[in-house]
Amino acid sequence: MAATASSCEAGDRGGRILRDAVRHSAGRTVVLAFVATASTAAALALPAVLGHTLDLLLARRDAEAGCWVLLCAVLVGVPVVLDALDELLTATTAARTTAWLRHRALGHVLAAGPPATARIPAGDLVTRLVGNAAHAGTAPASLAGTLAALAAPLGGIVALALTDVWLAVAFLAGAPVLALLLRSFARASADSLTGYQRLQGEIAGRLVEALAGARTIAAAGTAGRERARVLAPLAGLAEHGHRMWKVQGRATAQAATLVPLLQIIVLAVAGYELSRARLSVGEVLAASRYAVLAAGIGALVGHLNALVHGRTAAGRLAEVHALAPVRHGTLRLPPGGDGTLRLRGVSAVRGGRRVLREVDLTVPGGTTLAVVGRSGTGKSVLAAVAGRLADPDAGEVTLDGVALRDLTREELRAAVGYAFARPALLGGTMGGTVAFGSFTPDRDAVVAAARAACADDFVRKLPEGYGTACAAAPLSGGETQRLGLARAFAHAGRLLVLDDATSSLDSVTEAKVAGALLHDVAARTRLVVAHRPSTAARADRVAWLDDGRVRAVGTHEELWRLPGYRAVFEE
Amino acid sequence: MPKTPMGRWSDGLGFLLRRWRVLAGLAAWSAVEAVQTFATGYALARALDAGFLAGRPGTGLGWLAVAAVAVVVGAYGTGRTYGGVAALVEPFRDGLVRRVVGRALRDGDDGEAVSRLTHQVEIARDAFAGLVMVARSFVFTAAGALAGLFVLAPVLLAVVVPPLVLGLVLFLATLRPMARRQEAFLVADEAVATSLGEVCAGVRDVTAGGAEEYVRRETGALVDAELRAANALARWSVARVVALAVAGRLPVIPLLVAAPWLLARGVSPGALVGALTYLTQSLLPALQNLIHGLGASGTRLMVVARRLTTPPPAPRTAAVPSAGVPSSAGSPAVELRGVTFGYGPHAEPVVRGLDLVVPAGEHLAVVGPSGVGKSTLTGLVAGLLEPWSGEVRVGGVPAGERGARRSRVLIPQEAYVFSGTLGDNFRYLRDGPVPDHEVMAAVEAIGAGRLLSGGGLDAPVVPGALSAGERQLVALVRAYLSTAPVALLDEATCHLDPAAEAHAERAFAARPGGTLVVVAHRAGSARRADRVLVMDGPGTLVGTPRELLARSALYRDLQGASQPAGAARDADRVDAVPGPGLAGDGRHVVAHRAVGQVQAARDLPDGGPLGRE
Repeated sequence: MAATASSCEAGDRGGRILRDAVRHSAGRTVVLAFVATASTAAALALPAVLGHTLDLLLARRDAEAGCWVLLCAVLVGVPVVLDALDELLTATTAARTTAWLRHRALGHVLAAGPPATARIPAGDLVTRLVGNAAHAGTAPASLAGTLAALAAPLGGIVALALTDVWLAVAFLAGAPVLALLLRSFARASADSLTGYQRLQGEIAGRLVEALAGARTIAAAGTAGRERARVLAPLAGLAEHGHRMWKVQGRATAQAATLVPLLQIIVLAVAGYELSRARLSVGEVLAASRYAVLAAGIGALVGHLNALVHGRTAAGRLAEVHALAPVRHGTLRLPPGGDGTLRLRGVSAVRGGRRVLREVDLTVPGGTTLAVVGRSGTGKSVLAAVAGRLADPDAGEVTLDGVALRDLTREELRAAVGYAFARPALLGGTMGGTVAFGSFTPDRDAVVAAARAACADDFVRKLPEGYGTACAAAPLSGGETQRLGLARAFAHAGRLLVLDDATSSLDSVTEAKVAGALLHDVAARTRLVVAHRPSTAARADRVAWLDDGRVRAVGTHEELWRLPGYRAVFEE
Repeated sequence: MPKTPMGRWSDGLGFLLRRWRVLAGLAAWSAVEAVQTFATGYALARALDAGFLAGRPGTGLGWLAVAAVAVVVGAYGTGRTYGGVAALVEPFRDGLVRRVVGRALRDGDDGEAVSRLTHQVEIARDAFAGLVMVARSFVFTAAGALAGLFVLAPVLLAVVVPPLVLGLVLFLATLRPMARRQEAFLVADEAVATSLGEVCAGVRDVTAGGAEEYVRRETGALVDAELRAANALARWSVARVVALAVAGRLPVIPLLVAAPWLLARGVSPGALVGALTYLTQSLLPALQNLIHGLGASGTRLMVVARRLTTPPPAPRTAAVPSAGVPSSAGSPAVELRGVTFGYGPHAEPVVRGLDLVVPAGEHLAVVGPSGVGKSTLTGLVAGLLEPWSGEVRVGGVPAGERGARRSRVLIPQEAYVFSGTLGDNFRYLRDGPVPDHEVMAAVEAIGAGRLLSGGGLDAPVVPGALSAGERQLVALVRAYLSTAPVALLDEATCHLDPAAEAHAERAFAARPGGTLVVVAHRAGSARRADRVLVMDGPGTLVGTPRELLARSALYRDLQGASQPAGAARDADRVDAVPGPGLAGDGRHVVAHRAVGQVQAARDLPDGGPLGRE
């Protein structure tokens, strides 16, 4: 029920997006509609005029024919200009609309923040911004061409009927075969395509296996053998491929007979009428051309399909537009605050489950609080709520006495920094990744932050050092984490939240990073989600989270006496 | 070295010439297809002249029936041309698949191999097929129509051919600039898709960093760049419309203008109608397909094929002659002399001036912080990496040579298991047949018996169905079965429990004459070794576990001896492993003293002074 309602709603909103898009390019759409319709009108007029001209010429009424030849020239020449304009406008309008839709959708994603990907998975979101936006972008131009697309086949049939009513009858009687023949195509090709894709998947699967064992294969010198093994299904693939082409050839051949045969039927009727002097030679020529235009009804189906696709794509974009933007306040932090973080009665619900229940916590300015607990006890949600990556469903989070939701976005992000277990590396290069954020620190600050996060050494050893593109250097989990830490260090404000951000570092490196965090990083207050006892031991205090509640707060040594606390680390 | 366009052209020409039979068949069926084109105008002309206009409607209908038969025959030809197209396209696709697979296996996964294999190869295949179909169809349709015009009245050609040629020349002239713009557009489109992909996957990080404006600006700039590329492409499409008009549409006008003259020279009314039919119903659609098809398919094919076939930079390891100096009995199992190595011309070295000697039969453990270069060291010893300077010898033979390859086996952390039988996986490193009892003995020695519970050596293995630990057991048995005396275990037991790890390591250490180098994953692993190499940049040390406890603060740290209470049990878990082929975070390994002064291998009680296992 709810799903149906929401998809209807999305459809409506999709319609609204298309209307907005058409309005955005209103002038172009109108011109395009005019151009396409005018070109089609010329195409419809040409066979009749050409036929009449031919009749005059055959009758040796050359003087009279002169004007008509001129008219033919106009009907040939003007559509050239119109079609050029049509092509240009169709392409540029689609490009312009696509870009406009992408800008808007990107804005909505950014304004909604992390809840966007909780609602629509990241991969799906990309499909919408890339593929669906491009599809929806073609809608205004398609819409503008609708009248023309409709006019050509209908005009063709009408013209046949006007020339001689039996011509139209012959055409309409032969046409239904079209649908039947085209129908036989889709089924036949699906079978061999499935087989083809299965073998293709098998080759890909074997390749992935071999790539995962690349080091073993290189060391054993068995690359040649592996190649043969991966390529073994290739012969089968080619076999399926040949079969697919065969099926397609048969279907194409069937489809290729249709329009010419229809045309011949019309011509036979026209010829018979010619022999009874009820039609002229020129009219026979026109009839044969009109039969082709009328057969363009298949293209009309394609056109309507494109419109429907555009609307569906717009509906999927509408869901992106419907993402609720995060609202920020207008307040700023009191100057000189020490970064005291306070959670009061904070509750959070995820997937219908209460993951945080009435959490009260205070992290005094300048101290480090570790948050520990078994997996699934709400540690990451707590970390998200503490820096307003998500809003709690109840309760309040304040920094230096100001509620986070009352702060301006700029003030909030300058004050709170984050590092994650699996940071996304944005910013293009290694250096750009560290600099990525609300402001761009200078190179020295970037290097200093990287050094504090134990990332400087490995970055320097990359082929281009800090200029190495992220895509060019596959990083291990630990290296990625260190870059994420460096990014957080380079932008440190009053509060730094480390959400399991050192989980892939060995104890020695982690200890170094922890030391740097205390001495070299400007952040005053730290909230650290931790899985290791050593991390918890280094914090000033530890909050032990269990099933969404704070079980106890104290130093690691104090809590270590509790068996339940020790059990947290034995997972 | 990237291939020159000339090279690629001649490659393509060679590909076609080798398949001249296929081309001939394709041409023959296309000629059959052209029968329809020919009949379109000719039969109509005859139907008018000899039938309907002559008051003999029966004859007229007869000629139309001939045209209908020609349609069916032509369609049969069309259907059969697909066989020829398949015979060109499928080998083309096979070639691309072979290249992609070969390249991926040689250069490792850059994350794109599967996309190249399934997506890009298919684009190239479809584009190539489109290209062949469109070009072939145009040539034979034009031939059919021109032949028809010639038979109707040779003089008609004089009126029709010049604009046709002019339009085609115009079109060919636009081909290259359009292809460039099309390519620019595809590149811009990919950049947008990549950037949006990164942003969507990293929304959390964008919000957390407050970098919305930055992203809006940077990604927005890419969107605008794509818009500009699309507009530039659209402007050139005007040239395409003009070319089409000149070649396909305009010839009608000179034909009409010349009509009185043509009629005076005996061209029949039917021939005139036939000529007009050829122009509007054969040539114009064929031109339309050619111009749209060549523009789109041609450019796509060019771009994708270039991406798929451009050879990557030369592999890092130079080819070494396989002569292989026979190992002298007295040479050590592994020997590094002044070895320096880094990952790129602008990179700092990971290993600098390292000296190390491992005598035959020794069990050496390598420890150090993550990324300090432990895997790099095993890569150097295995000959997978070539040192910038210095020398690496295995069994007295330079590590890169084939002789050295036979004397060492490397077991990396990521165990390789392929779809096949368990026995095939075990025997992977042996050339000749290996009797089952020998395999079973290896399984027994490693302690991998549980792998056989599913049905013995001939049971098929589904790699994805094995746990990480089981996969490592497969790799360990395989390595144990190999005849190489030196085993390099690079965190090869990290997914086994400590007891299983100890069992496997002891099995390797106990191989007669076997030398074992273990990159240690757990503290216990180092305590079992005869000697330990502590990699720590300038502080790199080698010694017995007992000596190092006294001499190396880092070793004590790694052993968990200086952790705070409660953290000790954590020390056995050093999770981080640097990615293959990448440098780590330690300082340079500078051997400031000869660390390779070999000490007599001695038996240490397993566990050492801190043994807790």
